[in-house]
Amino acid sequence: MKLTRRDWIRLASSCGAAQLLVPRLVGQAANGQKSEALFVEVPASASGISWVHENAMSQSRYLPEALGPGCAFLDFDNDGWMDIFLVNSGPSDFWTPTKPILNALYKNNRDGTFTDVTEKAGVGGAYFGMGVAVGDYDNDGWPDIFVTSYGKCILYHNNHDGTFTDVTAKAGVATPGWTTSAVWFDYDNDGKLDLFVCSFVDYSGVKKLECGNNQIGRNYYCVPRVFKPTASFLYHNNGDGTFTEVSKGTAIEQALGKGLGVVATDVNNDGRTDLFVANDTVQNFLFVNRGPGANGRWNWEEIALQAGVGFSDAGRPRSGMGLDAADINGDGWQDLFVANVDHEMFSVYQNNKDETFRDVAQENGVARATQLLSGWGMKYFDYDNDGLVDLFLANGHPDDMIDSYSMHVKYREPLLLFHQGADGKLHDVSADAGPVFHRDFAARGLAVGDFNNDGAVDVLIGLNGGAPILLKNNAAKGNNWLGIKLEGGKANRDAIGAKLTWTAAGKTRSRLKNNGGSYLSSHDPREVLGVGSATKIEQLTIEWPKPSARVDKFTNLEVNRYVGIREGGEISELPGPKR
Amino acid sequence: MYKATLLPFVLFSLWNLTGLGQGQTQPALDPQTLVQDAIQKQRSGDLAGAIPEYQEFLKLHPEATAIHSNLGAALAGLGRYEEAIAEYKVALKQSPRLPSARLNLALAYYKMGRIPEAAAQLEKVHAQDPSNRQVVIVLGDCYLRMNKNPDVIRVLAPEAKKYPDDLAIAYMLGTAYIRNKQVEPGQVLVDRILRNGDSAEAHLMLGTAKMNIQDFAGARDEFGKAVALDSNLPEAHVLYAQALHLTGDSEQSSKEYKAGLAQDPYNFEANLQLGANAREEHDYERAEQYFRRALETRPGDPGVTYQLALIDADQAKLDPARQKLEALVKEYPEFTEAHVSLSLVYYRLKRPEDGKREREIVQKLTAQAQAKQPGAKQQ
Repeated sequence: MKLTRRDWIRLASSCGAAQLLVPRLVGQAANGQKSEALFVEVPASASGISWVHENAMSQSRYLPEALGPGCAFLDFDNDGWMDIFLVNSGPSDFWTPTKPILNALYKNNRDGTFTDVTEKAGVGGAYFGMGVAVGDYDNDGWPDIFVTSYGKCILYHNNHDGTFTDVTAKAGVATPGWTTSAVWFDYDNDGKLDLFVCSFVDYSGVKKLECGNNQIGRNYYCVPRVFKPTASFLYHNNGDGTFTEVSKGTAIEQALGKGLGVVATDVNNDGRTDLFVANDTVQNFLFVNRGPGANGRWNWEEIALQAGVGFSDAGRPRSGMGLDAADINGDGWQDLFVANVDHEMFSVYQNNKDETFRDVAQENGVARATQLLSGWGMKYFDYDNDGLVDLFLANGHPDDMIDSYSMHVKYREPLLLFHQGADGKLHDVSADAGPVFHRDFAARGLAVGDFNNDGAVDVLIGLNGGAPILLKNNAAKGNNWLGIKLEGGKANRDAIGAKLTWTAAGKTRSRLKNNGGSYLSSHDPREVLGVGSATKIEQLTIEWPKPSARVDKFTNLEVNRYVGIREGGEISELPGPKR
Repeated sequence: MYKATLLPFVLFSLWNLTGLGQGQTQPALDPQTLVQDAIQKQRSGDLAGAIPEYQEFLKLHPEATAIHSNLGAALAGLGRYEEAIAEYKVALKQSPRLPSARLNLALAYYKMGRIPEAAAQLEKVHAQDPSNRQVVIVLGDCYLRMNKNPDVIRVLAPEAKKYPDDLAIAYMLGTAYIRNKQVEPGQVLVDRILRNGDSAEAHLMLGTAKMNIQDFAGARDEFGKAVALDSNLPEAHVLYAQALHLTGDSEQSSKEYKAGLAQDPYNFEANLQLGANAREEHDYERAEQYFRRALETRPGDPGVTYQLALIDADQAKLDPARQKLEALVKEYPEFTEAHVSLSLVYYRLKRPEDGKREREIVQKLTAQAQAKQPGAKQQ
């Protein structure tokens, strides 16, 4: 009998608790009936999403070819239905396309299909695109789009009529070099979204660098170790449609990295949003926001080493790519995750509540399950609405020729799904999560969002050199939920940094509204609160971020619907499931 | 190759015993009978029976150098190496130029994995008797295990000329050349081994060469063939394990490391890797056992010492961890990982200034390493 790679991973991650989960998740299987997939791929023929990523793979193997694409769920037309944005490559100093290569904006037709509106929207791009960050930077209630690239970044301002205007130059966020993930957040709590942009390596002048022939006599993608690190960028929102680069003289400028992923969160619960950055082949950075500093500069302290999240526990930098933050164990403190390259194992950092962390990947079975994988897009979210945070990982090796000289590491790799059990541990349930988990992909970006408004958070994955995968979530059936779109007033309109605390069936849980996370991607801005079998939410408290700092409380909220909540307490119904 | 080296345990002892009766005082309680009986028992393989009789005899005649040596051989035969070493040392103290006792002492060290001590004794034996081919082979193997490739070449190159058909010598010398980046003479020896057909030694050498050029899949295949042809070939399991690990087959790799340890409990690489695996699984007790054994083969090895420091740190034994790490960075100031861990330990010990100082060293070393990368030179 041939042991498949999937079989091997399943065996390697053998975990008693994971076995116990199987009957609960796919209960019919025990009775001989066909089990239902937790996530089901929606084919292009059904979704209408015909766009395909062009990775521009060349004989020379220029590294930017291997890193894209990012993707996003956003509601660009404010109709209450998640649309989709997909980033494409484009002209660069190493590639001239023979036909137009465009990003794609797909409008949600509210019936499970999408229509390509890129041309009308004017968001096709102009450079070798990488990632996307969506945020309402001007607090006008309409999401704007920031696209990173190898070349220059582009900021598209939403015109409220289905079109966008490239305001990059006016806004002052062109950001040269090679940028990857970006995140909108309000670091100074002035109610306006600022922008952090990860810079990868200094690729200028080295695009012709060849790292030599590999073992099959062909050029391969250079390991990023060979390139010089760079400083990332922090832009302060001036409130007039312009931004000022404010990292100069701060730890952000001094920390030379090779940034691929970023998440904005609050690791020490001080009400100021911090930044965790995953770097490739150099240490990760944890920029803790210490507030206003001397000489008008903001005070950022980079503490990754002493926090225990900079290096592996053997003191080595790893190849951090995707990452995320969430309160996994419900203790009110943000935990972190980093997806690394094969043989480095991914990191599950548990917050020790004192600005230090402990890697518990081994205890969770995540280490063994990811030993041979390279992770990019990923997200902590409650996929089955049972109230506990789960984990979705999208993987793929960066070297397209790795299969030729590695027995167990492959270019295309499987998706992984981890379910948080009652024991508080993450259990690999991929093997029983559906056919899509038995296939291999060159996955990169990953976004989560509920495209059909059924309260089950779906997944969108960008594939390098391929069509995106849209996965419909079937796993949350039977569990109740409340979806909330927060709207800040004094606080930033997207309410990044808000804290939601809810009680249902006597259980109280909380969630910090982080932003960013995953890799090159941006997510549904709504928060779906899973409550399991509870039929109502007895109490919901929203602590709005500064400068508001207002606390709104609600009682006895009906479940299984989407609502909008404005700072101040006004609730409105939003499109949700048919009743 | 190693099996042959075990023979001297008995042979050398018996040679010495032959001279015992010539010049020794007759014991009052018929010690002659006692010692002859012991010898007979040792010859017939009853080592457990021989040992108390030798010990009884030595109470009466502690000056009987050869009997100390014989007792050592009997003890070593039962795996009681520490006691054997003590006997050999007494014999050598009484008769410092007794070559058999020194060789037996060296072999006891060798069996215990105390390779540097074995090598030191073997050098002395080799100086006294340069013609002893077995001694040269074991000495060469010790140096190979200690990764002292120039020393392997020094002692084995003349032997290879004298014995061009000795595949064991060709294999060890060829491996040393290849490890020492002297590919050309290494290749000559590979060819010599290959002329003898599809041998395990040849595959082992080819695998080693492929490892050096980071062709891990190719190395894995060569080592696999070597193990299939001769599963007792020293180092074959361990090298196969390394290649399997590097090509992603951790499970099989672990099995091969364990097979390597079954063959040689003091194999450095196997102990190091299995220790690291155990540490990753938070099985600190088992990890420490592996690492301690690895240290017996290569005392003071910085990689192993670092792992032991990490075990301390993992278990919040911060002061012992600090002490080990401080010693490491003092001796190896460019050991970046040790600086990282020391910085972390200082922070955890609430010594932020020291932590910051170490962190700055990490940044400096990282920048230096980065400056050597081709991407930096292109610009």
